Amino acid sequence: MRKKSTLPPYLTLTVILFAAIVLSVAIGSVPIPLRALWDVLWQSIQGHVSSLDPGGVYLNILTNLRVPHMLLLILVGAALAGSGGAYQGLFRNPLADPFLIGISSGAGLGAVLAMLLQSPYTRVGLMTIPLAAFGGGVLTVLIVTMLARVGKTVPTTNLILAGVAVSSFTSALTSGLMIQSTGEVRRALVWLMGGSVMTGWRPLVGVLPYMVVGLTGLVLIGHPLNVLQFGEEQAFQLGVRVERVRWVTILVATLSTAAAVAYAGIIGFIGLVVPHIVRLIWGGDYRRLIPLSMLGGASMLLLTDVAARSLLAPQEIPVGIITALLGAPFFLWVLKRAKAQNYW
Amino acid sequence: MKGKSFFKSILLLLLIMLLTACSSVMPAGQSGEVSLVDGLGKEIQLDQPAQKIVSLSPSVTEILFAVGAGDQVIGRDSFSNYPAEASSITDVGGSMGNYSIETITSLQPDLVIAAEINTPEQVSALEGMGLKVYYLANPKSISEIYDMILNVGILSGHADDAEKLNASLQQRVQAVEDTIAKATTRPSVFYELDGTDPAKPWTPGPGSFLDELIMAAGGENIAAGLSSAWAQISVEELLVKDPEIILLGDSIYGMTPEQVAARAGWEGLTAIREGRIYPFNDDLVSRPGPRLVDGLEELAQLIHPELYK
Repeated sequence: MRKKSTLPPYLTLTVILFAAIVLSVAIGSVPIPLRALWDVLWQSIQGHVSSLDPGGVYLNILTNLRVPHMLLLILVGAALAGSGGAYQGLFRNPLADPFLIGISSGAGLGAVLAMLLQSPYTRVGLMTIPLAAFGGGVLTVLIVTMLARVGKTVPTTNLILAGVAVSSFTSALTSGLMIQSTGEVRRALVWLMGGSVMTGWRPLVGVLPYMVVGLTGLVLIGHPLNVLQFGEEQAFQLGVRVERVRWVTILVATLSTAAAVAYAGIIGFIGLVVPHIVRLIWGGDYRRLIPLSMLGGASMLLLTDVAARSLLAPQEIPVGIITALLGAPFFLWVLKRAKAQNYW
Repeated sequence: MKGKSFFKSILLLLLIMLLTACSSVMPAGQSGEVSLVDGLGKEIQLDQPAQKIVSLSPSVTEILFAVGAGDQVIGRDSFSNYPAEASSITDVGGSMGNYSIETITSLQPDLVIAAEINTPEQVSALEGMGLKVYYLANPKSISEIYDMILNVGILSGHADDAEKLNASLQQRVQAVEDTIAKATTRPSVFYELDGTDPAKPWTPGPGSFLDELIMAAGGENIAAGLSSAWAQISVEELLVKDPEIILLGDSIYGMTPEQVAARAGWEGLTAIREGRIYPFNDDLVSRPGPRLVDGLEELAQLIHPELYK
């Protein structure tokens, strides 16, 4: 066994998350001095207007943009990294990520279809893209599991293969639609790269129920996933109902990932890499790995988003580009430093 | 099957939950001096014409300057490069489809004018910040340009200037029509939007504004038979149609007639043998604004030089 890190995991990651929250709220294309930032928030809690913010612009930016954006990204990052960790355990495969069995390609197809619909500018019309993305993602996972089913069981190999095949098919449909459409190519591309995280409080209210159910489920699934690592036969003999674990894991991961993708587009890499970083530093106990991945995923998404918003300000780069661009070197650095042998 | 209906009902429940998680964003304005319905069907009301305007597209910026509201523009998107004065105005982003909502909010405009390159989500995000957003729909034909210009004039308090501009534009369009009516031929035209892949360059198909402009300028668009308004044409089809004139809209990205003439298989084309291949300023015809008429005039002169001697 490798020596695990002596860093206290929860404390370390909570401190990092807190720092990421502060950076995320403090940094944006409109510079707000730290002193003003604090004063504006503090005065507004007390019902006053800060003397440092006479026009109310800072308060508007903070309460209607940065704070809800930060909270949404925390949930999205936690959902992606938590689901990724759970899938790596369920499929016992280091390449597993939350998009393994087709959810991102289905959500992408749903979103692009919704963009072509040109729905009316009403509150329901504005919901078509998130709804279609959510529905497309969930539906694709359903189709994949149905296709992979053999009798009463769903062998993981079949799931992975069905997922890859259905993903390719769905992505081809999406590309075909994008090529055929006139003006929507860039919009679709930006969405597919996680560049259209929705603003305001509504998305947050929209994802909250799924996140509560999904994230709680992911945390609770840790123990059975540990037992599953001995192999399915062994796990069964140890009293774990393998099929049920599989269904529950897929359900909660799909719920939280689909909700994340619906409002934030497809943000890659976090769900793959954060669980590995946690595993390299603190080991592979899924009871810890999943909640720690959630903390790490939230921090990583917040920090990459700060970079995406400020590198070329006032231009913003789709955050999905930055997660891989900054995340990959960071992951490789951790991998190299851990000098991991027989790591998986 | 039991499991299936269970999943179905869960799915239904989820959709309902997602659907209900939204609240109203439509502004309830009071009667003011300016009241217009925009391209998204929402009514914009201003107590007085907008004095601080943010433009989210190059075409909107061009129209604002053309109606004399240039000095009321306090923010513009990254692509607004015409007229030259526009470049000194605060950049609010726009490449990769992302605008800085923070920057726009901090400018405290009394009106944001969006265009069709902006998504309903962006409009909604700006309205969520308490801003008034007018969404300017693209014209579908030349005759709709005038309404568009007039609306921008009304919003910015330059309705008279807009009407004067429209009158002169109408006159110029009429002049082109009169000239083209004398034409005895209708040369075939290939307009290249993007020839990065010379085996299947992008070209405007039926239903595109360019298709209509080429027609109005007395030419025949060889891509009029394609299936979409923005399409890739096979080079074989191009060789069969053998256009008499080739216009390089991608010349603004560096494509030259020499490069095109050197493409394999293109040397036999009539347009290339007769030297009727011209660079064309695509900005004139891709931005729905007053310069479309400049574009129309240039097209007419290139397609029918004999009428403009």
